[in-house]
Amino acid sequence: MNKMNKFRKYSMIPMLAAAVLLTGCEKEEDEIPEEEHDHEVFTDVKLIFTNTQDSSDVVEALAQDPDYEGVEELTVLDSINLDADKTYTLTFEILNVHEEEHEEEEGEEEEEHEDEHAEDIGAEIAEEDDEHQFFFAFSNDAFSNPLGDGNIDNAADAINYNDSDDNGNPVGLSTSWETSSSSLSGGYFTVRLQHQPGVKTASSGANDGDSDFDLTFVLNIE
Amino acid sequence: MKITFQLFLLGNILSLNIFAQSDSCTFSLSGKILDVETKEPVPYVSVVIKEEGKGTIANEKGEFFINGLCSQSNTLIISCHGYCDSVCEHNHRHGKVPHIYLRQKVVDVATVTIKAQVNKKKGTESISQVTIDEKELKSDVTRSLALSIEDEQGVSLISVGSNVQLPIIHGLYGNRILILNNGIKHGFQNWGKDHAPEIDISSANKITIIKGAAGVRFGPEALGGAIIVEPNPLYLKEDFSGEVRSGFQTNGKGYNSGFEIGQGKKKWSYFLNGNYTKIGDRNTPEYMLTNSGKEEFSFGSGVRYRTKMLDVKTYYSLIDQNLGLLRASFFHSANAIRQAFAADQPDSAYILPFSYTVNEPNQLTQHHLAKGEVKWTYSDHGNLVFRAGKQLNKRKEFDVRRNSSKPIIDLDLITNDAQLEWNHPDRFGLDGMIGIQYFYQDNDNNPGTNTTPFIPNYNTGRYSAFLVESKRIGEHLVEAGLRVDYESSNVRGRETNQDIFRDEYSFTNLTSSIGYVKNFKKSHSFRTSFGTAWRAPNMAELFSFGQHGFKNSYGLLRYYFNDENKLKTDQVTNLNESNVTPEKGYKLINELKINNKLQSHSFAVYSHYLFNFIYLRPYGLIGTFRGPQPTFIFDQTDALFLGADYDWSAELGNYLEGTFGISYLWSRNITDKETLINQPPVTVSYKLIWQQRKLWKFSSSRILLKPFYRFEQFQAPRTLTPEQLTEGDEVITLESEIFDFKAAPEGYFMLRVSWEWEWNSFKGSVSVNNVLNTSYRDYLNEMRYFADAPGRNILFSLNYKFNANNK
Repeated sequence: MNKMNKFRKYSMIPMLAAAVLLTGCEKEEDEIPEEEHDHEVFTDVKLIFTNTQDSSDVVEALAQDPDYEGVEELTVLDSINLDADKTYTLTFEILNVHEEEHEEEEGEEEEEHEDEHAEDIGAEIAEEDDEHQFFFAFSNDAFSNPLGDGNIDNAADAINYNDSDDNGNPVGLSTSWETSSSSLSGGYFTVRLQHQPGVKTASSGANDGDSDFDLTFVLNIE
Repeated sequence: MKITFQLFLLGNILSLNIFAQSDSCTFSLSGKILDVETKEPVPYVSVVIKEEGKGTIANEKGEFFINGLCSQSNTLIISCHGYCDSVCEHNHRHGKVPHIYLRQKVVDVATVTIKAQVNKKKGTESISQVTIDEKELKSDVTRSLALSIEDEQGVSLISVGSNVQLPIIHGLYGNRILILNNGIKHGFQNWGKDHAPEIDISSANKITIIKGAAGVRFGPEALGGAIIVEPNPLYLKEDFSGEVRSGFQTNGKGYNSGFEIGQGKKKWSYFLNGNYTKIGDRNTPEYMLTNSGKEEFSFGSGVRYRTKMLDVKTYYSLIDQNLGLLRASFFHSANAIRQAFAADQPDSAYILPFSYTVNEPNQLTQHHLAKGEVKWTYSDHGNLVFRAGKQLNKRKEFDVRRNSSKPIIDLDLITNDAQLEWNHPDRFGLDGMIGIQYFYQDNDNNPGTNTTPFIPNYNTGRYSAFLVESKRIGEHLVEAGLRVDYESSNVRGRETNQDIFRDEYSFTNLTSSIGYVKNFKKSHSFRTSFGTAWRAPNMAELFSFGQHGFKNSYGLLRYYFNDENKLKTDQVTNLNESNVTPEKGYKLINELKINNKLQSHSFAVYSHYLFNFIYLRPYGLIGTFRGPQPTFIFDQTDALFLGADYDWSAELGNYLEGTFGISYLWSRNITDKETLINQPPVTVSYKLIWQQRKLWKFSSSRILLKPFYRFEQFQAPRTLTPEQLTEGDEVITLESEIFDFKAAPEGYFMLRVSWEWEWNSFKGSVSVNNVLNTSYRDYLNEMRYFADAPGRNILFSLNYKFNANNK
């Protein structure tokens, strides 16, 4: 008698539980993933060589990622054409351009991105300068100062860093270069930005940590 | 008196007394047969000693006695023919006597509990299958699901390092092997080989591996087979009992502890269990595998209430994992990749001192499962089962990147299941069931990853109906099944420029199977099964985009080749405008089993033809803005799998048993006339078990010695190293011959030794994996590109069981 009621009562529990299970905490049916922008990336890396004697004498070379998160990589678009026997300061413009127009610009050559939509990664690197260092490699003796072929193969090799982090270690957002007097055609100039959190020391090299980018430009000196 | 057996589980408890004497043929055996559920005696059961043909009928108290036996070790055939005639559903008709085969090993204890003699799931009786019991599973609870079943012939595992492992059945894995956890499909981010099912084997009661196409009964994903994980069966009338266990392993300095308690009253029962595992960095014989540790916490519970007609079970389980991935698999420069693929061991910068800390790259997952099941036995001949489940799977993955504190993948997946099954009464001698199922998944990306979602948001719903029937005529059994599925999906994602894309599509498909079983000459059984199956391409296969782990993958709808044969990913194709089609499979599997007195053989051969087989193939080294990465694209082809599994066990003495096993698989891409990638190589194994009754203070001991040899995969694709890809002028398109980034590793020999003992309420074990501390790489472990597999590992475990008498 009572028992039968009890059966009914208990049998209701799983049914109710099932109903709750199936309908409970249902989400919006048609949610769209939020727009996501990668702030950690470089879409544009521009090398800016400024003549120390004449600030209007500027040589630029650009590498760009044509398809943002797509399969295409940072592509070197320009070669570096420097004058012989001059002193340059090398600085960078490192941007993450992710405004909507970016995709449409693909193919159109060298059209400038609107800077207000771009994020300046260079500033971020300057903030985290104790975790970053630029390394360089170039055709042997392309420069009279520094001599040699750069410090990617051997971190102790000469590079004229103009900046340093809080620990007194070089950064490389600004470097000095004196071109050699002899001309060079079809040489190379490699810039590698290493991200070295907790790794960067006075003796850390171009293979410590991870490369944020590693770009090789054609270097001509006339 | 009425005794209801578990639907699929026919179990008995036997207490056996052996009176051993020195001269032969004077052994005797007595026992009592109880229903495992009710603990009531089962009367008038026939008990036959298989080897000698001797037998008897148990009395009304379920007791029996057989004397004049010549051996201490016997196989009992227990047939409850007379008894079942009136009460035992589905098991009494048309001479369909449920035989329970028990291989009884005499141990010096008065009571032997023998449980879990499986009645095969309906619709799979003619398919070759194997069950792994609790004891085997609990020998190392820190293992993954895949690792715990790897020993079976035809089963292997594919992995990404030490923590992410997926089972392979006859060359197929991932979305082609259904993982049925607690009666419902495990709803997780099942993408290829990248994610392990979030299932804690320490709470599993048994695992059944079905090696044929079982799609009719379980749904489209069972195209290549199914793995059925069953939880605590919640027996009634069990005294309060519990178990506390702990373990330690040397490689990774891992430790774990867990507990399980449970009790069964007359009408209700419950269990609770929990487990915690922490393993640090593993090491190869030569170096540390930095960031290969894991941490895992799990909890499970269940409550059952049973009345005359209703049997209600509810379960809840949670697993929370933090799985490390090898740090040495991540690079930010092409140089580093070239070096890593060419070097014998990872760069020393990625080999750090031992640590328990799991850093990026890692996967954080949480899986909740709640399930309710009601069985309504409305008559002695039929019942209805209603099952509903809800699963929430949360996954966050972290990569080595500038914003490494932000997940690169952050997904919530909700899975709802509702199933109604009717085990119908006998009609025209047909035994079978009809079922309807509803399955629904809702996947959402959580904002804040700062990257285009790897997988879009989607909602998928599936309605299914199936029918399986079998008919037994004497020693023959014929089985057939039919299923219809309607599946529709709605997808919303983001393109590279963050424009929204949408897709909507549906599939309707028919699955069928037919099988035949013959038991003959008392010791022989032959089964054959032919099944058709289909499977809709899953979200990862269609829409994968970008970085996942150390590689980039692009789904079938996310890439195309332009006029210059260059890979482009800036557009998303709609499914209906693409040439992507569902997979269709045809699998034939035959199995012959011979169980003689001292030897048994099991031989299975199969062929599996898959139309539109979807697979991931290496494309090249692509530098996205996170640095260059090995890149893979999905492709479709027709593929053929032919293989054989063979098991031969022999009694080598009273205490010694040896089992030899070999698995062979030949597979081929038929359309392009080339090999397939990531197929299991040939493996030969031998297992020697010595079961000692009494050794010093221990009441029983079991010593296992298992050598095995895995051959090199001679069917691997050609090799194009990152060096060759970047330096050479090889242009890779969909038409190019398939390649791999690294040659298949050499074959290797492994030896495993273990000793399990029992002493009063304690059970323990010491086992050694990779005894010889061999340096090796396994072809199916993706981390083989970068590092060796772990070296020697010594595992210790200790269990304490307690019981309370509260009668």
